[in-house]
Amino acid sequence: MKSKLFALLVIAALIFAACSPGGGGAAAGPIKIGGGFALTGDESALDLPAANGAKLAAKEINAAGGVLGRQIELVVHDSQYKMDVTAQIAKQFIEQDKVVGVVGFTDTDSVLAAGPAIQGAGLPFITAGATSPKIPTQVGNMMFLACFGDNVQAAAGAEYAFKNFGKNAYLLWDKGVEYTTLLGGYFKARFTELGGTLALEDSYDDKATDFSAQIAKVKALAQQPDFYYIAAMPYNVGPVVKQFRDAGLTGPIVGGDGYDTPDILSVAGAAAENVWFTTHALIDAQGGTPGIKKFIAAYNKEYGHDPENAFAALGYDSVYLFVDALKRAGSTDAAAIKKALEETKNFPAITGSITFSADAHVPQKGVTLIKIAGGKFTLGAEIVPEKVPAP
Amino acid sequence: MTSRRLIGPSIAILVLAVVLTLLQVSGLAFWQGLFVNLGIFLILVLSLNLSSGFTGVFSLGHIGFMALGAYTAAILTLPLREKHDYLPNLPAWLAGVHFDFHLGPFPIGFLAATLIAGVLVGLIAWLVGLVLMRLSGHFVAVATLGFLVIVRVVLFNADDFTRGSRTFSNVTPYTDLWWVWAWALIVLYVVWRIKRSPFGRSMLAQREDRWAAQSIGIDVMRPRLLAFVISAVFTAIAGSLYAHFITSFSPTVFYFDLTFRVITMMVIGGMGSVSGSVIGTVLVIAIGEGLRRIEDATLLYGLSQIILAVIFLFIIIYRRDGLLGQREIPLDRLFLRGGDASARQSAQVSDVNRS
Repeated sequence: MKSKLFALLVIAALIFAACSPGGGGAAAGPIKIGGGFALTGDESALDLPAANGAKLAAKEINAAGGVLGRQIELVVHDSQYKMDVTAQIAKQFIEQDKVVGVVGFTDTDSVLAAGPAIQGAGLPFITAGATSPKIPTQVGNMMFLACFGDNVQAAAGAEYAFKNFGKNAYLLWDKGVEYTTLLGGYFKARFTELGGTLALEDSYDDKATDFSAQIAKVKALAQQPDFYYIAAMPYNVGPVVKQFRDAGLTGPIVGGDGYDTPDILSVAGAAAENVWFTTHALIDAQGGTPGIKKFIAAYNKEYGHDPENAFAALGYDSVYLFVDALKRAGSTDAAAIKKALEETKNFPAITGSITFSADAHVPQKGVTLIKIAGGKFTLGAEIVPEKVPAP
Repeated sequence: MTSRRLIGPSIAILVLAVVLTLLQVSGLAFWQGLFVNLGIFLILVLSLNLSSGFTGVFSLGHIGFMALGAYTAAILTLPLREKHDYLPNLPAWLAGVHFDFHLGPFPIGFLAATLIAGVLVGLIAWLVGLVLMRLSGHFVAVATLGFLVIVRVVLFNADDFTRGSRTFSNVTPYTDLWWVWAWALIVLYVVWRIKRSPFGRSMLAQREDRWAAQSIGIDVMRPRLLAFVISAVFTAIAGSLYAHFITSFSPTVFYFDLTFRVITMMVIGGMGSVSGSVIGTVLVIAIGEGLRRIEDATLLYGLSQIILAVIFLFIIIYRRDGLLGQREIPLDRLFLRGGDASARQSAQVSDVNRS
């Protein structure tokens, strides 16, 4: 009987906790910014670092005196990578936390699930790392990207490879994910536009572990391609690169920011040599830019380890980008912040300079090309693509 | 006598109507959203319970029906401009279809799209069920899981209709509290009636002892197939409601995660109990929401999922039949003369049946 009573009490307490209102949004307190991240679930490998980066930025801004004479508070909620929860936390930000804007998320699904509510409330929303350039047209005019679009990074990869590796490419993509499907499509558009040819186009199912069927088709080609463009998710890059190398395919492998994970070095090992990928920044304490070096030191001090990948830097940038607009807007009025965001010109983000305009909510940032050599990430090139495929 | 039977359910519906009206008037999108989610999950749990709980044919593939329902209805209601932008390769007969008919303020097109999705998915379920309902036990669980995988792969590859892996977005947000709860009440009523109908009795009978049931002339296949098809139709309707509420989704959404959340709610409430489905759904959603607040306060993200899993484990170990087992809270008998006694009696009868 006692245990039943206890169980009932626990449940009552939980329901009470669910019903108790969130903190009030008095005008005098800190300025609240929503931080939506999938801290648990399949996307957490990217969202956790992004959330850590965002929190670090908020802390630094507060230490430097805040903005508009007030401190900022980054209110973080975990979306659990469940779309119903994602839509709910967007409403929670708006109604209960009374935020002035939202930053976060690194994938299109989450942004599109949270977007309608935030757009409907007329609040600015900056995604840290969802790279689909279609997002602003899908969500609305309050939506901004802190990262470049996939069309930009695919064009950068295509142009660099066309110049340096050759005109005959092999294209492989993960057809189970929007990001890789778009990336592969944009690569093909730009590469063929340049005059390149595709020796073979192939795809695989998401979370595949065996690529021998795809590899057999490559080996059956009469003439081997000059390089391999493989659009893969972070959890696939290690195995796919290793299996290509084990099969004796030694040409350059080119990819997108899905490769930006320490896993590629630990899983593929020596096989990762001669892999090139486009990403947001080189997170390296020696080879990085001064801004990145400073960020790595601060991140290390705060969390006891180096940033896991460039998404940490993107989370960090999103908060600074938002606060910069807040400062220029001179108020917490959503329309004023949106206007200030659209007037952002050459904002010195650590992942590259950001410029927005009223009809470009996806920044035209430079792309960092990373070359894996000697078992680590090294700077291959900084690229601004000459031409970008339409989103 | 019959009018007294209506008192209990009437009070319940009245309370619900008051709550929904208050929510509507308050304009609080968060709480409205929570109740919409609650309603959608309630439909999912009730319909899964109809198929898995009543007949004992454990299905892991129902979320596949939900996915098909969501995509079918969303393709029908997607505005023409979005259709042209996002689904340029639709066959001509679909490309010009836009279910935006209104009867006054009432979006009858959404209702039609939902019903079409339900009927279409019902047909698919009938075909699938003809084969799969011949299996029992673990085999049917694995086979329905196979169905879920097939649906996912088809959705990924039917690019022209679904955008493949890319997110299907910009669906018109028709779903509101009233739509969801009207459907939830219909599903609740139908499932409740089925349980007490001869069909329901034969479902339960063949679940308890297939051979004994067959020996006295109870058909096994027909009640199973009927339960499977009806529950697939309701699941597809829940899919349509979900699609027009979240407004964007991709095939990855309709997979294991959602499958196990619905199963958790069903098992906690009690397999074979309609009231249990309601209680299980409400409890899991309320506890999940409460724990989410505790996570935010303690920064222990992931806590809610661990605790829910532990609760689930304890229920499986100490209360295998869930909170209610197969019993019901007999709302319609509460106000009968000597209602308590008869209610208790019916609960005991169910218990005896069970053991």
